[in-house]
Amino acid sequence: MKRIWTRWLPAAAVPAAVAVAVLAGGAVAETPPPPATPQQVLALAAGHTARQFSGVVKENADLGLPSIPSQALAPATSSASLGSEASILELLTTPHTARVYADGPTKLRVQIMDELAERDAIRNGNDVWTFDSKAHAVTHATLPATAPPGNATPSAPPITPDQLAQRFLAAADSTTSVALGPSASVAGKSAYTLVLTPKSAGTLVASVQIFVEAKTGFPLGVDVYAKDQTSPAFHSAFTQLDLAAPAASVFAFTPPPGATVKQEQAPNQKASRPAAPAKQPLGGKGWDAIVTVPAGSVPAGLLDSPLLKQLATPVAGGRALSSSLVNVLVTNDGRILAGAVPLSALEAAAK
Amino acid sequence: MSPISGLASSRLFLSELSVLFRRWRTWAMLVALAAVPVLIALAVRFSPNRPPSGRGPAFLDQITHNGFFAGVVGLVVSTPLFLPLTVGVVSGDTIAGEANLGTLRYLLVAPAGRVRLLVVKYLAAVVFCLAAALAVVVGGTVAGAALFPLGQATLLSGDTIGPGEAFGRLLLMSLYVAVSLLGLSAIGLFASTMTSVPVGAMAATVVLAVVSQVLDALDQLDWLHPWLFSDHWLGLADLLREPISWTSFGENALLQLGYLALFGALAYGRFTTKDILS
Repeated sequence: MKRIWTRWLPAAAVPAAVAVAVLAGGAVAETPPPPATPQQVLALAAGHTARQFSGVVKENADLGLPSIPSQALAPATSSASLGSEASILELLTTPHTARVYADGPTKLRVQIMDELAERDAIRNGNDVWTFDSKAHAVTHATLPATAPPGNATPSAPPITPDQLAQRFLAAADSTTSVALGPSASVAGKSAYTLVLTPKSAGTLVASVQIFVEAKTGFPLGVDVYAKDQTSPAFHSAFTQLDLAAPAASVFAFTPPPGATVKQEQAPNQKASRPAAPAKQPLGGKGWDAIVTVPAGSVPAGLLDSPLLKQLATPVAGGRALSSSLVNVLVTNDGRILAGAVPLSALEAAAK
Repeated sequence: MSPISGLASSRLFLSELSVLFRRWRTWAMLVALAAVPVLIALAVRFSPNRPPSGRGPAFLDQITHNGFFAGVVGLVVSTPLFLPLTVGVVSGDTIAGEANLGTLRYLLVAPAGRVRLLVVKYLAAVVFCLAAALAVVVGGTVAGAALFPLGQATLLSGDTIGPGEAFGRLLLMSLYVAVSLLGLSAIGLFASTMTSVPVGAMAATVVLAVVSQVLDALDQLDWLHPWLFSDHWLGLADLLREPISWTSFGENALLQLGYLALFGALAYGRFTTKDILS
């Protein structure tokens, strides 16, 4: 048989078709109706009424820190379940995919989908459950009747994009200039882009982009940019979103057989944040604020924790945990200073 | 395709299957795969201590609660090496094996056509992928049912399901694993058209499976990860969530079809322009 070069054409056509499909897939974005002003979009976001949704959230961070998988932290901390300091660090330094279900202010379920494992936090009325499939462990707490709506676990940081966006929007005051960026497509929906830029030059935050769904005002995603960095230092956005009520069975949780169930104290609002009253803003308000925790208020054992020793680098006057967005300085006399400011500002404030 | 050639194709396919499943080698590989979960279940049953949570292969500590997880652990343990190894042997042998035995000429003398032979060979390899995944599941289910209770199964999300649904999910996971191996089978088919030494094609396929997984483990190459055929291999656990997360199933199927298209086209280009001397 003669060698015929046309027989190789399909082999060349397949990569070409894949390339075309990839390029075309990124170009599909419908433009939202022309908005007037950033203020209108702000009002739209503030007035959104969607309390029922289910969706998938992708989150990743590029803080200039090495990625720290929970396995590496496990020996240092005994547990990597939701809410522990190790899990927060792990959430901040490695990419994650989570499914979020919400129905009203008191029903929420977050499923962090790890490889071959999952961590769940469920709030159903006043019952709060967490489940860790790796440890096969359950914790349960009953909130007091007056507990505020919001987070599944009161001690956990807000991790869904809409909660994060509300935090940033609440902070958008006179220290921030608000503009409208090019519209984007997030989770298959067209969205306005709000760009919050700090007016102060003393902060590490270059800008914050919030993607607001054009029809409902639902915040679909948040990108935080650090100075001197082109990719977002922190990114959290829905990749799928369905604004319909999830099935009620999603929020019903009974501990599986064989799991260790740990009853936790109902987190008292004051007790859950022992250091909160002692925090003093120092040297600036708004974006370049520095939070100080006096030596006496630092939780016992935190300074000696192996985790901190492992991660912090020694600097003049203490040890520092440094990233492209946030710096934390632990002084030798036991105070903790933190802020989205350069390390030099923290050192100056510590004197 | 006319009815006569369709009939000829299906006859060729059936004869190909019977050749594959009459070989001792095929059955030895399937039995070895079925033995993986059996050995794990025996080790868990007769070890003095319960397996600790969160160490060893994923789901290992679940076996004592529910024998259904023997099959799950078997699939998770076999996915990185044992399954690619057997699939590499079968798909690497497809064309090169015939060339090595000197039978390729006779297959093409019959009005089979090279394209039809390629397609039939690939489909037989796909049937083996499914059989291999089912062998692990069957071995795990038999061992799990014999050694442990089969009751309510705990999913990754902490919800529990009954034994019937659990078995259904196990079958879905074996389907996921079989789909995961489609791309590797296509690579093996292409490698097999490159040489008349079957061991070379088998080794190349298995080595590529290992290389792909090593690359997948390097954080520095995360831009490359979505394009590696092994990227979704451990996504089979997404079928153990409540509700089931179908995203990885769809992404995996799309990726494997892409690999099938690319390496199928390469195998076509190579096989239809090759001088067949043996």
